[in-house]
Amino acid sequence: MKPENNNLENNISRLVKLAGDSNQPPKAFTDSLINKAIDELSQPDTTRERKSKIMTTKKTLKIFAYAALILLVCGVLILVMVPPLSKTKYARITAKLADEKQNILLKDLESKQQPTSAPTTQEQRYAYNEKMVAGALDKAEKLYMPADRVTVKDSFEAPALVKQAHSLSCIVPPPPPCKQSTPPMAHGGSKPPNGEDVDAMFFKNYGVNPFIDTEDDHLSTFAMDVDTASYTLARGYLHDGHIPPNDAVRVEEFVNYFKYNYPAPKKDDFAVYSEASPWQFGTGRQNSYLLRLGLKARQISEENRKPAILTFVIDVSGSMAREDRLGLVKKSLRLLIDNLKPEDKIGIAVYETRGRKVMDYKGLVEKDDILATIDSLSTGGSTYAEEGIRIGYEMAEKAFKQGYINRVILCTDGVANEGQTSSADILKVIKEKADKGITLSAIGFGMGNYNDVLLEQLGDKGNGHYAYVDTIAEAKRIFEENLTGTLQLIAKDAKIQVDFNPDVVRSYRLIGYENRDVPDERFRDDKYDGGEVGAGHSVTALYELKLWPEKKGKIATTYVRYKNAETGSVTEFKSEFNTSQLNRGFDDSSKQFRLAATVAEFAEILRSSYWAKGATLEPVLQQAQTLAGEFKGDADVIKLVDLVSKARQLMLKSPAKPVEDSQSE
Amino acid sequence: MEQQPKKHACSGLVEGDSGVWQEFLQQIIPQLYGMFLKSWPNPSLAEELVQKTVFDAVRGRTTFDPEKGTFEEWIFGIARNNIRLEIRKRAARPTVDGDISAYLDVMDTEPLPDELLENKETADIVRMALGQLDEKEQMTLRAMYIEGLSAREIAGRMELTEKAVHSILYRARNSLRAKLKQLSAIPRDGETST
Repeated sequence: MKPENNNLENNISRLVKLAGDSNQPPKAFTDSLINKAIDELSQPDTTRERKSKIMTTKKTLKIFAYAALILLVCGVLILVMVPPLSKTKYARITAKLADEKQNILLKDLESKQQPTSAPTTQEQRYAYNEKMVAGALDKAEKLYMPADRVTVKDSFEAPALVKQAHSLSCIVPPPPPCKQSTPPMAHGGSKPPNGEDVDAMFFKNYGVNPFIDTEDDHLSTFAMDVDTASYTLARGYLHDGHIPPNDAVRVEEFVNYFKYNYPAPKKDDFAVYSEASPWQFGTGRQNSYLLRLGLKARQISEENRKPAILTFVIDVSGSMAREDRLGLVKKSLRLLIDNLKPEDKIGIAVYETRGRKVMDYKGLVEKDDILATIDSLSTGGSTYAEEGIRIGYEMAEKAFKQGYINRVILCTDGVANEGQTSSADILKVIKEKADKGITLSAIGFGMGNYNDVLLEQLGDKGNGHYAYVDTIAEAKRIFEENLTGTLQLIAKDAKIQVDFNPDVVRSYRLIGYENRDVPDERFRDDKYDGGEVGAGHSVTALYELKLWPEKKGKIATTYVRYKNAETGSVTEFKSEFNTSQLNRGFDDSSKQFRLAATVAEFAEILRSSYWAKGATLEPVLQQAQTLAGEFKGDADVIKLVDLVSKARQLMLKSPAKPVEDSQSE
Repeated sequence: MEQQPKKHACSGLVEGDSGVWQEFLQQIIPQLYGMFLKSWPNPSLAEELVQKTVFDAVRGRTTFDPEKGTFEEWIFGIARNNIRLEIRKRAARPTVDGDISAYLDVMDTEPLPDELLENKETADIVRMALGQLDEKEQMTLRAMYIEGLSAREIAGRMELTEKAVHSILYRARNSLRAKLKQLSAIPRDGETST
């Protein structure tokens, strides 16, 4: 795929040509020019024909205009020269005739002038119409796409607004060639559950972080995020042969999906690993560096994990009736059960048209009963998520034990169409319970009418996390390999603040974490919601930096602040990074660093980030392939190569997605 | 003994006979290229002007008047006209000082001015920079831009996949730019060095 208007490539081409020492044109150039010229020969000479046509029309027009002018002058002359006769019948007739002639002539003139004057008025009309419609669409877009976070209610209302926008565009005929406005949150979908108009994938556009001058703001603050759902979700799309919608791609979740093998801290809750290298991504930026901040939470061995009381709230509504939904939920639960400890307990609630408890808490001694209950689950009815979640929390509250992990695990495709279908109330309840110690994990299953926005917020507010399960391998990752990390938290309300040194750093941009923004002044406000980090989890944040040339010294100080998940005590620590620690070149950086960069590039291109302008998947694929060799046996990296190559093929086939052009430096 | 240029059947050219045109262009393109290269030592500009001249001639073939001279003379007339146009265009442009490094800073976003490319120093620096790249990168850049081969042809020649050629090109462009910057920053003769 050749990026359009690639100045760099053009300039390089022109420069390299200077090094040729032949006075002859390249053979390839001559051949291609001859072919083009011969093609041109076979073209009908449309330009000349058109030209002569225009000339003839112009000439005819001129003749008509002159004739009309002469007649007009004659008419006026007759009127002026024969005033004495005006009162006679003859005069009246003459005058009338002249008058009529004049009218005819004027009309004639008008019609002759039509070709020259008409386009202007037409254009004006178009311009006016375009302005009207663009304004209306803009308004509609703003209504359901405010700059900051929107509630799920808004996203449910989106289709209606789109309709409004369309109907607005219909009032002003004829439809002008205006820019197409696609609804940013609703995509795809197969069959609506219960025929309701909520069948769509819900994603939220959080925008793309801009470059910020350190002179304006040298602090960058955000909440930690260990979610990985966006990556698995995008993987599902690509497997089905679709490029994921821009809004479904959250760069930080792509980056955090991969293992970077940061050594776990021995004593402290966190260890910070920073690395930076020159980085070339997109066009038009020089002296760019990529700074990677890696945080690793303390590891807890399986034996030392606290016992857990898990309440499963399973969506068994009609929309879950597919092998990749309820079928996958059942398989996932079996996996989890195989990895539980004897002290752990499981309870199950389900919801469809109504919510109900299906199994009280049972331990591993009654494993057969649990499995039988899971197998007996079947689907049907509409989706009363609110009641299901409420019943789950009631169960969890009754079973609550201090010193245990008390977790509600919601397994759903995220679409609620009965009861309170908006999330505002659900989220409030979940936040309250989380404060009392009952946390929530939102696990998404299924594609087609999947609500990414709702689940992400549930996981966020529930102090748990959000994952998306597309395959049994992904279920293994969450319920088997990472179970301790999935269940046991190390830190709550964890936030990161990076203080850039304006003497060394000219500007910076945080790559991803758009929906995790924390106002700088709230960093030390411990009531302000941050992110939750489980045992052994790692968090990676990437910054693109522009440094002042030749400046040496401190680049940034990273502050990390969090509440200990056990004691609730607040800890803050910092870590510094200096120019002396910079890698000389990108290739000198660690393979983990290059992996994070590659994944970020992949995500940035997939989401058509403004900063990925001019970047293609070719070099990303190449880097991924190299990395697959270096990370021998890491299935995730091998899979990445496959995905990038899939995405590349799909992007070659379909025209490029529009680049988010709203950002400026 | 040089072969006398073959007189082309004017009628075939005017009527747009592709066989006659092909033969004519084979012979005339190198001559035009040489003519433009003599005016400005800038191969990419020469290519551009050759292309413009050829298309002017193809499109305007019916206006050729055999009484005023041969078709060759006529097309050289078009070429001279294009040189004049280029000179006029240049007069309207600000002059370029010889310092290449300032221009290299913006080469990602703006086309480099032709005047800069025609500096002898620029050509020297490019040759030097190319020479410092690794062999694969050098070969790929030369094949792509000097010989004008496609990525597929290069892949065939170097026994690589097309994908690999693209990524070598990508890296080669970046390393060439870096090398150019590095070399252009070195003070030239006559300037004090530290």
